[in-house]
Amino acid sequence: MKKYLQVFKITFKEYFVYRLNFLLWRVRNVAQLLVLYFLWQAAIPEGQTVFGYDQTKMLTYILGVSIIRSFVLASRSVEVASDIATGDLSNFLLKPLGYFRYWFTRDIADKILNFSLAVIEITLVIFILHPPLVFQKSLHLLFLTLLAVGVGTILYFYFSLLLAMIAFWSPENSWSPRFLFLIVLEFFAGGLFPLDILPGLVFRSLSFLPFPYLLFFPLNVYLGKLTSGEILFGLSVGLVWVFLFYRAVKFTFQLGLKNYTAWGR
Amino acid sequence: MKNKKFSISKYSRVWWRMTMAGFNADLTNRFAAAFFLMGKFLRFSLFLAFLILLVGRTQTLAGYNVQQVVFFFLTFNLVDIISQFLLRGVYHFRPLIVTGNFDFILTKPLNPLFSSLARRTDILDLLTLIPLVLYIIFFLASGQVVTTLTGILFYLVLVLNALLVALALHIIVLCIGVLTTEVDHLIWIYRDLTNMGRVPIDIYREWLRGFLIFVIPVGVLMTFPAKALMGLLSWQWVLFSIGLSVIFLWGSIRFWRYALNRYSSASS
Repeated sequence: MKKYLQVFKITFKEYFVYRLNFLLWRVRNVAQLLVLYFLWQAAIPEGQTVFGYDQTKMLTYILGVSIIRSFVLASRSVEVASDIATGDLSNFLLKPLGYFRYWFTRDIADKILNFSLAVIEITLVIFILHPPLVFQKSLHLLFLTLLAVGVGTILYFYFSLLLAMIAFWSPENSWSPRFLFLIVLEFFAGGLFPLDILPGLVFRSLSFLPFPYLLFFPLNVYLGKLTSGEILFGLSVGLVWVFLFYRAVKFTFQLGLKNYTAWGR
Repeated sequence: MKNKKFSISKYSRVWWRMTMAGFNADLTNRFAAAFFLMGKFLRFSLFLAFLILLVGRTQTLAGYNVQQVVFFFLTFNLVDIISQFLLRGVYHFRPLIVTGNFDFILTKPLNPLFSSLARRTDILDLLTLIPLVLYIIFFLASGQVVTTLTGILFYLVLVLNALLVALALHIIVLCIGVLTTEVDHLIWIYRDLTNMGRVPIDIYREWLRGFLIFVIPVGVLMTFPAKALMGLLSWQWVLFSIGLSVIFLWGSIRFWRYALNRYSSASS
């Protein structure tokens, strides 16, 4: 446990080497947030309801997605692909260190830092723009939201690892499938709009895929739009996907190691 | 004059050679190229579908109907893709500075600004550009937005003008890359800021709109050409846009000279 704490601390400190770089990275997130915020504010005037959302609920959704995204989707495990491609993976295989645990620790450090800055940014946005917001007071729903965020976090971690492992078979091409995946994710995780504005059949089909459990589902739990049964169903589907991805990652890693030649070493 | 003409032909040949080299490099990696191409098409199609779904339901967005909003998005893509296609070298610039390999560019008998901007051409962008241009022509020909001959003329002038502003902004990104070794994704910040022009900038509050016209002229880049085509932009704004692009381009070239004088050739 102690060694992972050190990994956590080192990852955290890495960001403070290039502070300006990191802060400017956050500017990108603010720009993305402002597009969505003003787009939805213009689309749903005060007092009107579109797709079952009034302005208050939609703006809460957009700001909430920004916060949840900063935690669930912040990740360093994308670098696993470069470990494999450059042969650096060999260093880890020789060390008394759990490779997945190592990357999960780095992910958590990344998430905490991004989340902290996102909270500051959103606070500033609220302070400047004064949006009408829904503040969830039910402790029960807040707890379930945290649980859903936890499921999404672990799901994304395995998702990301699995994508990185393409490098075992195609070391020079691991970025392009991730690029495609990120585009699919942007739309089908609910980062751009709440998925329930889609036609009923499309939405119902999506609810069986892993994407909604990264952003859309936790936010909907927070907004109190789901019944207990729907929350239970969502958590169950999310957990099933976590299990499937966990097994897929383990299997692919073992298979990949057989193919791994420590190229370049 | 003769010498100048010769230069243009020389630079065209160099650009063509570099483009072909880049294309060949892309072809060696067909798997990656196919995924990137698929991603680009998917991103375009899904956002278009989202806009149609949204404005189809609300009927208007900041006073624009669904066809107009779609046309804003098409114009955004046109300017965005052309500038990415021609100026892809900027995305690969910072490593040259950090490693000191920029020295090799400086010692070659080519303008270093040209080499830095155009040393890479993304042929995949060209593949997405062709269907986009066809779609825009079809969109206009089918009368989905009302326009006039003057509107089309203004549109073409302002798209060209937008490309000049994009060029100026890319040069500024290069300059900051030379002056600081710390910022490695300024071009992505530029991309995110220009992404604010995927929708008409009228949706933003006045202070933000002002910022997007006068400071980082995303409005001039992305929104003004479409507005001119629909007859929603006065000639004064057209003149303002051209003036702004001239000032930006002039300023960016001055800035480039200033930055070059401060290049420290680190690590080499």
